[in-house]
Amino acid sequence: MLKVKNLNSGYGKLQVLYDLNIQVPDKGLTVVVGPNGAGKTTLLCSIMGIARVFSGEVLFEGSSIVGELTHNLAKKGISYVPQMGNVFAELTVMDNLHMAGYMLSKEEAKDKAAQMTEIFPVLKKFIHRKAGTLSGGERRMLAIAMGLMKNPKLMLLDELSTDLAPIIAERVMMEVSRMRDELGITILMVEQMAKRALEIGDTAYLLVSGEVRYTGKADDLLHEPELCSMYLGIKPVTGKEENFGLSVPEEGSEDS
Amino acid sequence: MAPWMSSGLIYASGLALTAGSVTLLYIVTRTFNFAVASLATIGFYVTYTGVALFGGLPYQYYPAVVIVGAILGAICYYGLNKHLLRRQAAEITLMMSTLGYDLVLLSFIQMYADFLTHSYRLFPRRVTMNIYDFELFGEKAAVIILPIIAVVFLTGLHIFLKKTKFGVAMRATIENPVLAGASGINSDRIYLVSWIISGGMAALGGSFMAMAMTGTPVMGMYAIPLMFAGAILGGLGSLYGGILGGFVIGMTEYAGVFALSQRFGPWVLGYRMGIPLLLMVITLLVFPRGLAGIPLFKLLGSLVGKKRGASA
Repeated sequence: MLKVKNLNSGYGKLQVLYDLNIQVPDKGLTVVVGPNGAGKTTLLCSIMGIARVFSGEVLFEGSSIVGELTHNLAKKGISYVPQMGNVFAELTVMDNLHMAGYMLSKEEAKDKAAQMTEIFPVLKKFIHRKAGTLSGGERRMLAIAMGLMKNPKLMLLDELSTDLAPIIAERVMMEVSRMRDELGITILMVEQMAKRALEIGDTAYLLVSGEVRYTGKADDLLHEPELCSMYLGIKPVTGKEENFGLSVPEEGSEDS
Repeated sequence: MAPWMSSGLIYASGLALTAGSVTLLYIVTRTFNFAVASLATIGFYVTYTGVALFGGLPYQYYPAVVIVGAILGAICYYGLNKHLLRRQAAEITLMMSTLGYDLVLLSFIQMYADFLTHSYRLFPRRVTMNIYDFELFGEKAAVIILPIIAVVFLTGLHIFLKKTKFGVAMRATIENPVLAGASGINSDRIYLVSWIISGGMAALGGSFMAMAMTGTPVMGMYAIPLMFAGAILGGLGSLYGGILGGFVIGMTEYAGVFALSQRFGPWVLGYRMGIPLLLMVITLLVFPRGLAGIPLFKLLGSLVGKKRGASA
């Protein structure tokens, strides 16, 4: 669905990514992990027309999207959930959903918003509240719901677990996994919570200093002791799947 | 009504619109628009041309004033601002580009004034617009009509921003342009509409102000410090704060001049602009976020919010 070929990009004159090659297969969950400053967010920004592409190609469904304006990419079916500022804090939850479905007709947006409150019941309670008053976990749920409002073909998720309590981050990861399994959405996810992301992901890329250091199955990266300890700060998996010791509470219970 | 109060009300209504115009454009495009000066002057000349050449009342030409201002706003966006915003120009560059546009407009205003003199034997360089007004309930009609027009215009703008899909999209873009773009909102269109509204507001504000002050080709240039002062007093981050700031500045000028000239003599008139600017400085020293940051306004805002929440 998405191919990034020899991408060199950055901001202004500053180059962040160097000859990057990435493929995002249909209906799969592709995970990009790496240390801080590796260029993970820049990769998503380059795809979305926010960062500056110096050279290289970004192909979406076979055609180049380099130079396209962000709102046109949204129209093509690419949905982007940024790491920070991923909801309109001054608008109500309902207005946030409607803005996310800006390209839909009034009726379609209404139906889709109702569908989102079914998928994420926590939003129903706060539908007329300003998004800025929601807790971190609720905001992230709203951000994902906003991403889904557009009926996307491809979702770009930027570090959804940032600043979340581990138990809430785990719930968010489960939602991502469900979006792939039940809704059949193609996902490119950038994540710092590397271990959990690699467990649910299909394909993985390890990004270090703007270059790809690993390409392959997500699960296999967890068995690379050197890469795991040097760049991800996690212990490689040696035996059976580790239990995180996290029990995820039922939807609707309090979080922070 | 005392003359200072009636003139002040007319002038302050105009200043509220122009300060609102400056604020709107700043919060949407980060552009501090100097061209508001000439747009206001052009608003006056459209009204003057109408009454001088075709007769009637100044008020009937206000729709034309808004249209001309809106078109000139759109030209500035397409000709300058759009390209600079795309290149992520600094605020100072955006501001100076509007100064250039203002000087171009000022040149056209001067040429147009000469044209009216040579072709129609008019004297457009010192015009007292209120001679074209009529009396209503023993007052100049402008005292009653202009605040009503301003309130209707601003209510319409409020409904547009709060209730329409495009208005909400505009607020969304103001808050988070990246997320708005990712949601499929075309920010170009939002910026264009903000220039159109802002241009219309500035021109309408100028035509209001000319009902209280002498209309000249440089009347906008004279009043621009106060237009900016109104926007700054309002806190720059809030459209409604800017409108209120403009109104307060306008009324303070007239009330201050009246009160001080009664006490110290007519020489105070020469320093009339200093009075509202002093008020702005004092207000900002006490409330650095301007009128929008005063707890009273916050409290009123939260009360309205609670009421709405309870009814929802």
